[in-house]
Amino acid sequence: MVSQAAMEMEFGTRSDTGRVRENNEDSFRLAPELNLFVLCDGMGGQASGEVASRLAAETIVAHCREAEANPALPLAGERIDGASEAASRLASAVRLANRAVHRAAQQNEAQTGMGATVVAALFTDERVIVAHVGDSRAYRLRNGELEQLTQDHSFIAEQVRHGLMTAEEASQSKLQNVLLRALGIEADVEVEISEELLMEGDSVLLCSDGLTHELSDEQIAAALCDADEAQEAASRLVELANHAGGGDNITVIVLRHAPKFAGAMAKIGRWFKGS
Amino acid sequence: MSKLVLKFENAILTEVAMGAKEVSIGRSPDNGLVIDNPAVSHYHARVFNEEGRLMLEDFGSMNGTFVNGQRVKMVSLKPGDSVVIGKHSILISDSREVTNPFPTNGNAGKAAPKINETVMLDTKERRDFLQKVAGAGESAQVAPSRVKVATLVVRKGKTDQTEYTLSNKLTVIGKSALATVKLKSWFAPKAAAQINRRDDNSYYIGGADKVPTINGQPVIHPTKLSAGDVIAVAGIELEFIYRE
Repeated sequence: MVSQAAMEMEFGTRSDTGRVRENNEDSFRLAPELNLFVLCDGMGGQASGEVASRLAAETIVAHCREAEANPALPLAGERIDGASEAASRLASAVRLANRAVHRAAQQNEAQTGMGATVVAALFTDERVIVAHVGDSRAYRLRNGELEQLTQDHSFIAEQVRHGLMTAEEASQSKLQNVLLRALGIEADVEVEISEELLMEGDSVLLCSDGLTHELSDEQIAAALCDADEAQEAASRLVELANHAGGGDNITVIVLRHAPKFAGAMAKIGRWFKGS
Repeated sequence: MSKLVLKFENAILTEVAMGAKEVSIGRSPDNGLVIDNPAVSHYHARVFNEEGRLMLEDFGSMNGTFVNGQRVKMVSLKPGDSVVIGKHSILISDSREVTNPFPTNGNAGKAAPKINETVMLDTKERRDFLQKVAGAGESAQVAPSRVKVATLVVRKGKTDQTEYTLSNKLTVIGKSALATVKLKSWFAPKAAAQINRRDDNSYYIGGADKVPTINGQPVIHPTKLSAGDVIAVAGIELEFIYRE
């Protein structure tokens, strides 16, 4: 068995308010020691979107940390059929985040109606487990090809899936922002989990919709391929989205499963460059 | 002043205030009120003010415009009228009434969110909508009378079993310790391909170290498997079937 600690991910991240909004309602939390990376996009008036996204991201990391220390920690909700232990744990963490946001929204008048989307990635045993609710996305770049790993829980995506609308019509639609699932809206939420094989050289991108509303898949793939380091790719993606309009908050987490040899070579290269 | 409230089934999708100018309605994005639906013409109809009266004109649309159940060419409108175009309806509302374009999240009565802000469809509308689309699509959501088990049958090549049940979210085909479909030949890749089970119980195959083919067609992007598909990868052939 390949242990969790043996998988080392190179990561880079950047979050930006964009050029139109006044607040950044996106939040992210990185727990590299757990190989866990979480991104949330908040919604709700009077700055409550920020509260919701932060609370959700923190709850997810806290539950996974606690489970790392105590593997017998009970799961919130059912174990997932045919999925790894780690997948059931991640889903449990997302359900707890839903409860935390829901409770906070009920208890505080100013936070009524707040909610958040989430996309979280957990790397273990040569695979990546992705949990998501809402329209924040995960992509995988393999051999220069970009694949979307998550299906948006949105009104438009659902119409496309059922053949009621073409992808072309969907991209023109003014209803991009209508969600069918989010954290904090109801006492329980259905969490979508996928498990993907991870190979050396693969990159995984987690992002809020502020990125995908501005950039095409081709632009995203090119930015991921061109950068030498994950951090450089993250910064480049945010710059491009701002250049394209920056209509919403933009947050990205770029993760790379670099071959050990290539990783070592890049480090040596950096020493020579003196950075 | 009046406003037009666009609804799909019971969900309020958006609203447009009637100013001095007319509001055009249609599928094209340059209309004042855009309805994303193939049943709606690109320039379907318009609503305009004439001598203090609110008028509706249909531009000779293919599927017609209906006011209070009657197909119309040109009519005058009053608050409370319902204009039906395809599956969408437009409620003529007096904007002095306070309505929230998105009656969601329990924040009714508060300031309406800006149009670009992310919002939730309200619980009831969401359930109704999901039920509708489930009915419109395949009958995947309908409980099957018999349980079908997705299975790979080995037709050619060296593997550790002759048949595999796809019960996991991720099935790896390769030589790796983590692979479910274990390849036996000497030079087989660690991970040749992968099959993912999605939440709707559909199965998608994608390449890893190798580019698999389905019925002879190379799989460039993850592709949905159908019963009877023959997968070839790394020297083996597998048939995807459902066992009852």
